[in-house]
Amino acid sequence: MRAVIVEDLALLREGIVALLRDNGIDVVAQAEDGPGLERIVSGHKPDVAIVDVRLPPTFSDEGLRAAIEARRRHPGLGVLVLSQYVEPVYTAELLASGEAGVGYLLKERVGEVREFIDAVQRVADGGTALDREVVAELMRAHAAGGAHGGALGSLTPREREVLELMAEGRSNAAVARALVVSGGAVEKHVRNIFAKLDLPAGEDDHRRVLAVLAFLRAGAA
Amino acid sequence: MVVSIATPRLPIATRWSRDLLFHLAGLLTACAGLALWVTGVAVSLSVAITYFGLVVALGTLLGCRWFARVERRRAAIVLGRAIDERHAPLQGTRWTTRLHALMGDPTTWRDFAWTGLAGLVGMTLSGLALTLWGCVLAFVTLPAWYWALPAGADVGLFDIDTLPMALATAAAGLALVPVAGAAVRGLTVVELAMMRWLLAPRAAPGGEPGDPVPGAPPAVGGAAPPAPPLSLHVAFSLVIAVLMAIVWAATGLGYFWPVWIWLGLAIAVALHVVALRGLQARGDAQQALRVKGELCAVIAAICWVVWALAGGGYLWPVWPMLGMGTGLALRAILVFRERLPWVREQALAERVDVLTRTRQGALDVQAAELRRIERDLHDGAQARLVALTMQLGRAEERVADQPEVAALLRRAREDAGLAIAELRDLARGIAPPILADRGLAAAIDALAQRSAIPVTVDAQPGRRPPPVVETAAYFVVAEALTNVAKHAPGAAARVDVQRDGDRLVVEVADDGPGGADPAGSGLRGLRHRVEALDGTLSVTSAAGEGTTVRAELPCGR
Repeated sequence: MRAVIVEDLALLREGIVALLRDNGIDVVAQAEDGPGLERIVSGHKPDVAIVDVRLPPTFSDEGLRAAIEARRRHPGLGVLVLSQYVEPVYTAELLASGEAGVGYLLKERVGEVREFIDAVQRVADGGTALDREVVAELMRAHAAGGAHGGALGSLTPREREVLELMAEGRSNAAVARALVVSGGAVEKHVRNIFAKLDLPAGEDDHRRVLAVLAFLRAGAA
Repeated sequence: MVVSIATPRLPIATRWSRDLLFHLAGLLTACAGLALWVTGVAVSLSVAITYFGLVVALGTLLGCRWFARVERRRAAIVLGRAIDERHAPLQGTRWTTRLHALMGDPTTWRDFAWTGLAGLVGMTLSGLALTLWGCVLAFVTLPAWYWALPAGADVGLFDIDTLPMALATAAAGLALVPVAGAAVRGLTVVELAMMRWLLAPRAAPGGEPGDPVPGAPPAVGGAAPPAPPLSLHVAFSLVIAVLMAIVWAATGLGYFWPVWIWLGLAIAVALHVVALRGLQARGDAQQALRVKGELCAVIAAICWVVWALAGGGYLWPVWPMLGMGTGLALRAILVFRERLPWVREQALAERVDVLTRTRQGALDVQAAELRRIERDLHDGAQARLVALTMQLGRAEERVADQPEVAALLRRAREDAGLAIAELRDLARGIAPPILADRGLAAAIDALAQRSAIPVTVDAQPGRRPPPVVETAAYFVVAEALTNVAKHAPGAAARVDVQRDGDRLVVEVADDGPGGADPAGSGLRGLRHRVEALDGTLSVTSAAGEGTTVRAELPCGR
């Protein structure tokens, strides 16, 4: 797998590069600002771009805008955005640019190496990787949104956990690993959730994640 | 103390004759000085409102300097050398600089004071001295001429018309010689003390030595001669006054002439008092004005007393009073101009301008500073902690076969993660990044989404307000929503942000039970934040009707 990194703080950039190389991911190029992302993506055609939200020259949401622009220009590109803040507005904008092949993680999640590598893989493969804080925000907004709040309320606590892990973008197998239950048990929970929320059940992990996300985002809006 | 200073030791007859000469000259100079001073002051004050008054005043001052120079030399009769003179030089090509040098030199004003004092006190003292010696002379020589008087010589209560009586009087006169000598010595000492006090050069305010010529003999009354104490002055005046009354009684109770001497003595004491107060009141314009007022009052009183003693008639003291009154009034206006209503109003308006500008500046600086702190946290401590979690994560991977070590590393990583989360909350509380990045509407949307209660938002702040106003509005909404979620968890809230002219109106209303305490600490903090921007914060919270927090923030700039 080929990755590029856009991060202005050398300390973090080098840390992420070392960590990815440890895990056999090939970092083909690095950049320090928004325009740099477009340059290295069109130059190297990577599978995934890991982008910091706050970049020079404006030090605001330069990275986010660059990431959304890169997704528009390069449809197959997976984009994983890293930030020190969870901002619902940012995640909403990112997801609005397409929910497949996209990720938004807090920077400190990089330290959870296996899950981080997992997330990079998923995004590169066209899946989704959302920080658990982002999912928590979505769930909270959904509950406060009123209209669909009742549907979430009908889930059992276990089903809520499964839903949250799915919304993070995990496959059934990964959910089973995280909850330390069997794959069959997760499968059963997922069926119940889809039935209670009246969602179209798909066999593909990606499709199910997208359905859950679409449901949560619709409720939060 | 005064007696011994720099008075040469001389044979007693020489000293007495010098004293006599000193007072003889003194009587002449005193007449000239009094004429100069009274004429100069009276004329310049009377015509003070015309240019001519200024010219006369300047002439008077120059005349006083000249007079003081003569007086310093007169002191040499007794002291052997003249009193040092140290005027500020009247240099400069322009007449204004010279005028300034003349008016600004304290020596000029002491010369002026001495001219007046010599006229009044010096004349009294010298007159007394000459009278004493005159009496002695008359007594001693009485046998030679008593017969020439048709009704005999009238010495107090006695009429001397026989030779034995004349001889007895001559003997008494001889006996009186040392008395007169000693008394005149005393008068000389008193006058010299006053002369030295006013006419000798003073040390500069910086405290440098008084004698400008190194190696010169000690100057007469060199540096800062001590002023004769007031009590001594008063006691001396009283003695003279009583003495004069006795002399008047002894010489046949005619016209009560001692009243003029009393007047002279009283004027000297009054001027002394004013001078002392003037010395104490240094630097403060109001105190200086008060001293000037007192001086004018003394002068006015003198005029009135002189007028009354001279038998009334034409009310001439009105003119000097008018002149002095005008001068004092102008001076008072200058001193107290800050209290004039219109000046005060303008000063206040300027002050308000300055305060408004500086407060705005302070708030802008504060806002910029907070954003800098947030950025420093982001790029500094937070980034280092993130790098630390990465390193710990990698280490954890490497020791996967040592579960105990891996668990330790994981706990360390989780702690670092908590620290990052705490820093994140801190930074968000200081300066929410989304506010800087996306503006108020987006930031309030984010707040609404994050809130635990349903919130509808209608945020149309229009043109972007200044950062401080944005931040204040943001925290008003954040605090209000937090309060709703805490105190009315079942309620729904509505956030409304509109631009009303040059004001930003922020309203957060809920449909909860109401009854919020507007003095609660959260609301109080908000109020301070809003009021620092000249805004207002109102809380309406009737029981059963929900709570509405409304902030109006000026953002005219």
